[in-house]
Formats: sequence, structure tokens, C-alpha cells
Amino acid sequence: MSPEDKCPRTEALSALVDNELPEPERGALATHVTGCAICAPVLAEFRQLRTTFAALPEVAPGIDFASLVDRRIATTAGSAKPLLRPQRWRWWQIGPAALGGALSVSLGVYLGSALMLGSQVTAQPAALQMAAFTAIPPGALCPVMQVCNSTGH
Amino acid sequence: MNSMLGSDGSDDDWVRRAQAGDLKAYSEMVKRHQDRVFRYLLRMLGSHEDALELTQEAFIKAWQALPQWQPEAQFRTWLFRIANNTALDALRRRKLVEFVPLEDSFDTPGSEPDPERQAQATQEVRQLEANMKKLAPEHRQILLLREVEEMSYEEIGRVLSLSEGTVKSRLARARAALIEIYARSRP
Repeated sequence: MSPEDKCPRTEALSALVDNELPEPERGALATHVTGCAICAPVLAEFRQLRTTFAALPEVAPGIDFASLVDRRIATTAGSAKPLLRPQRWRWWQIGPAALGGALSVSLGVYLGSALMLGSQVTAQPAALQMAAFTAIPPGALCPVMQVCNSTGH
Repeated sequence: MNSMLGSDGSDDDWVRRAQAGDLKAYSEMVKRHQDRVFRYLLRMLGSHEDALELTQEAFIKAWQALPQWQPEAQFRTWLFRIANNTALDALRRRKLVEFVPLEDSFDTPGSEPDPERQAQATQEVRQLEANMKKLAPEHRQILLLREVEEMSYEEIGRVLSLSEGTVKSRLARARAALIEIYARSRP
């Protein structure tokens, strides 16, 4: 059986060892542990673990990582500056562009409408416009006099 | 420029300089934290060579991520977060589930005058190392951060992206699991 199965207060005992229990709870648990045959050995085991961890030898790499990292940054990263993260897309960033686009379209529509309106005002009668395509050029004499004179005029 | 700051400036000052592209300032940060990062990675991975390689990798990742560092974050916990992710990536990539025993060169320092006591301490340390290799990585990492790096629950939470409540319960489970391994290994 694990200590968790045996003792319902394992989590609190672990926090007690870490000195991470708030004071009222800490005092109450400490009092409980002194008289509890289940909690006391668990707490002792947790404390023993801490002692053994503290006895772990100090380990040192024995090399200077700073120069190695410097070299690797210079060669692999190819830049003397930290990499800037690519800009994330944000909806408000397109605001100015969208506004400019909308204004351009509106201006285009307005100018187009004004042009169309102006052309209507100055439009010549359709008959006059089509006169350029008739058989008789504008201002010319009638080429077939007989036709013209068929009525006797 | 560096002489203005001196090597005793706070981490934040040096990191800000490094953020601006000062590689010498970053070198100072590497010197300050390299032993802790190496020690953590060595005990997570159990291999001296892997720890050497991944320590460099972690520092390079940290350099590349420096623009995202915020002054509210303690540099040490921020760096450990990167180192921890680097270790987990390596464990997944290489499927290093087995924890290789530490090399003989990392014996307990001979400060203990009593040879019998020294031998017992060495035996306890070896047993702890052997039992740690049987722990799940998430239990091993949280125990190392607490017991070796002496981080608070809040700091561990930042490194592992966990709430303090989860840190508390996971630490208890990790300890219980380690004690269970001890119990099973006893003759």
C-alpha cells in the first residue's frame, strides 16, 4: 500500500514538509501528527526523502556554456539579435487599410455617378448622334438627286 | 557598456540588455544560470552528454524567445520552463524512459569525516538516483524543482504551467510514488 492509501492527509503532510501550509492548518496538522500512528511515519518518510535529496552531490558541467552558446548563436541563428516572433494577425491592424479602401471605392462611385449625370445633361439627341452613321455625311448634298426629286421638290 | 552595469546587476537588468541584442549581457545570464540548468537536465535525462547538449539548446531557445520575456516573470523560472520543455521534448523524441544512473564522477563530496557514515550517505544517494529513474517524468521533474532547485509552489506552477493546488497534489503523489518504489526495492 502506498502512503496515499494509508493516510488521507498525504497532500497536507507533503505541504507541511515544504512549509507551504497556512498557519492555522499547519498547527492543527502538527498537533494531529504527534498522536496519529498513520500520519507520523508518513511525515517521517517525507522528511527522510528531503534529507536524502539534500545529500545529492553538487554537479557542475565543468565547461563554460556562455562561449559555446555565443558561438552557436553566431553560426546557427546567424543574427546578433534575438529572433522577433512573426507578427500575429490582429483585426484592428487592417482598420486603416479598410478605411482607405472604403474611401477610395466611395470616391470612385461618386465621381462615376457625377460623370454619368453630366453626360446625361449634355447629351445630344440620339438622332443627331446617329447622324454620323447615315449614308449622307453631315453637311453633304444628297447624292441621288432623282430620289430627292421624286416628289418633285 | 557592460562595465556600467557590472556583473552584480539584477537578472532583469541583464535580460533587458540582452533583449536589445546585447550578446555579452546574455553571456552573463548564461554564466549565472548554466550550473542550475545543467544539473536539472542531467537529473531529468540521466546522461551527461545529453545534458551538455540540451543545456546549450535551452539557452539558444531562450535567446530566441527573449523578445517574449516580460519583466513580471522571474528569469530563472522562465528559463526553467524552457529547459523543462526541452527535456520533455528530448524524452519523447528519444524515448528515454529509462533513467541512466549518474556517472561515477558525481560521488558525494568527501566532507564527511566518518568513513562509515560517508559510505552510508553514498549508498543512500545511489539508491535515490536509482529510484528516481523509475519515477514517471512528471513526478521526477516536480521533485527536482522542489527538492533540488528549492522552488516555491508558485514558482513550480509557473515552470510547469500548473495551479498551486495541482503542484501541491502532484508533489504529494510524487513523494508517495517514490516511497512506494523504495518499499518495493527493499529485500
